[in-house]
Amino acid sequence: MSIQGRRTHYQPPWGNANIIGVAGSSGSGKTSLAMAIVASMNLPWVVILSMDSFYKPLTPEQSAMAYRNEYDFDSPEAIDFDILVERLKDIKAGKVAEVPMYSFAKHSRLEQTTTIYSPHVVILEGIFALHDQRVLDMLDLKIFAEADSDLCLSRRLVRDVKERGRDIEGCIKQWFGFVKPNFYKYVAPQREIADLIVPRGIENKVAISMVADQVRKTLKHKSAQHQMELRRLGQIAEDSPLHGNAKVLEQTSQVKGMHTMLMDQGTSKEDFVFYFDRMVALLIETAVDFMPFTPRQVYTPQNNLYMGLKKEGEVSAVVVLRGGSAFETGLRRTIPDCVTGRILIQTNYRTGEPELHYRALPPNIAQHSLVLVLDPQFSSGAAALMAVQVLVDHGVPEERIAFVTYAAGRVGMNRVLSVFPEIKIVVARIGDDMENRWVETKYLGC
Amino acid sequence: MTGGSETPPSQCVGPEYRPATQKPTATVSKPLDQVPNIHILPQTPQLIALLTMIRDKNTGRADFIFYSNRIIRLLVEEGLNHLPVVGHEITTPVGRTYAGVKFEGKICGVSIMRAGESMEQGLRDCCRSVRIGKILIQRDEETSKPKLFYDKLPEDIADRWVLLLDPMLATGGSALMAVEVLKSRGVPEEHILFLNLIASPEGAKRFAEQVPKVRVVTAFVDQGLDEKNYIVPGLGDFGDRFYTL
Repeated sequence: MSIQGRRTHYQPPWGNANIIGVAGSSGSGKTSLAMAIVASMNLPWVVILSMDSFYKPLTPEQSAMAYRNEYDFDSPEAIDFDILVERLKDIKAGKVAEVPMYSFAKHSRLEQTTTIYSPHVVILEGIFALHDQRVLDMLDLKIFAEADSDLCLSRRLVRDVKERGRDIEGCIKQWFGFVKPNFYKYVAPQREIADLIVPRGIENKVAISMVADQVRKTLKHKSAQHQMELRRLGQIAEDSPLHGNAKVLEQTSQVKGMHTMLMDQGTSKEDFVFYFDRMVALLIETAVDFMPFTPRQVYTPQNNLYMGLKKEGEVSAVVVLRGGSAFETGLRRTIPDCVTGRILIQTNYRTGEPELHYRALPPNIAQHSLVLVLDPQFSSGAAALMAVQVLVDHGVPEERIAFVTYAAGRVGMNRVLSVFPEIKIVVARIGDDMENRWVETKYLGC
Repeated sequence: MTGGSETPPSQCVGPEYRPATQKPTATVSKPLDQVPNIHILPQTPQLIALLTMIRDKNTGRADFIFYSNRIIRLLVEEGLNHLPVVGHEITTPVGRTYAGVKFEGKICGVSIMRAGESMEQGLRDCCRSVRIGKILIQRDEETSKPKLFYDKLPEDIADRWVLLLDPMLATGGSALMAVEVLKSRGVPEEHILFLNLIASPEGAKRFAEQVPKVRVVTAFVDQGLDEKNYIVPGLGDFGDRFYTL
């Protein structure tokens, strides 16, 4: 059975993010509640999305009103629900979501945005988190935070004066002019559709731990689903011959000799690093052949014409940490100024599931004509699958991705190529599937 | 131009795994099928692009050095493949046995001064502590024949495989003389590997006729020689561009 030409779908763990909405009056402790839940998880894929980011930018007249404390920030009108819905859809679909940044000092959106990517669970907090039907349709859990109105007012006073540089008179004017009437009109009705009403905010330890448990359950379920997904992809790839887009280095006597040095446990660390760098330089030279080239005529110092080639566009690399950092010396031998992004994918030692912890990618990576993904070992291919998914999510066309690795198993490579049939894999040696990640340990010495 | 009058072989270059539409056209190395013991590097688009850079008269010295080093490393990697190996089985870190190989025999590099010395770094990048001998051969102004001026070679060179380094093979005069020097020190012809960036077909043929057992590894065979015996299109004076220009 051949897998060539067929495409299977891979659902990364962030593919269908869970969204929890937390609404409540201003000063009711929504933010503290959301932060307490996130802090109790301490996982990079549980994040808070504040509705404060989605305030509409104000016209000059509105802005002047705002400075006189006469603009109503506490009505649903002030929130740009259209953008919020769009971004939530992006997050739900596992795409990169650019969240606007709002300046309270200037009453306008800033140039820069915050990027939210790959959360498994998002906590949306804001006074109107449960207001818009389109948002409600995407929420998996609806929470309403409740607090005594005196407490709300005093909290709001302290916060606005301390953190937002307002004066007390202005704040009181806003409270009675807008906040309180709006509460009865728009905020309180959200109570009726909430799944959970949390009184006393942050002090309510029982409620916080209940919600945290619920999130943990969701995460566990997602992790199990992801592992099942990876197993399913493994079965698809099991019996197929090696996909044509996997290019194995020619096993010349030098290459075999280097493999022997690299795999021999008697080899000193010094020798290992030397031969590994040399091997990587060969791998990179092979991989850069995938760049697009165009004809170029040049004249030699004797003014003879030569019809040559030149590479088109830029090549960049993405190092899959931590193993990929063993590739950097070899990479810079071939491309000294290579633009290099980094992503940290760690395999959870308990479940064997790869987890995305960190990413820093070059800003215009989608325009590069070749992106090399560097990771010394492929093992099951699960981490590789995730790394490629991250690039695709950031707009890199599949056919411009070349995965460069030292050792990979046939099933692992087929697994990735069954999901992304257009990518290329350059590998120095076909190894066992599910091989331990020993290369990075040996190269880095720990 | 004498040899340059022939049309250069122009073809689509690109790996076989690329569709023809994605293969740009460029001039590739002349095939020298009838010449024994010459090994031309695979004409990948990447190699052609590197050669384009170093041929271009507008390429500055820093880039010239960097790009020629990249080609030289590929030459060294290919050259080393011609050395003998013996089977050597090992146990891998995951407890499997791997039927590997071990390099057999000692090697040394010999550079023909001065341009050949530019290839020493590339050799050291692949073989860290390799011994390197030197030979100085220059053209005698009166006879316009190459003349040996100086050599310093490892004592035990007769027991070593020799990687002879010279980036340009034009008429083949100095390379042939270098081979004679090595032979006079007891190095068997078949233990000599000549690593070369750009060769002229005339030089390559002459070399193969006179020292047929020496293996030549080159990146590119050019069109021919001009009346001053410069390679066409060539890249100018390699030593000047690497060291002084």
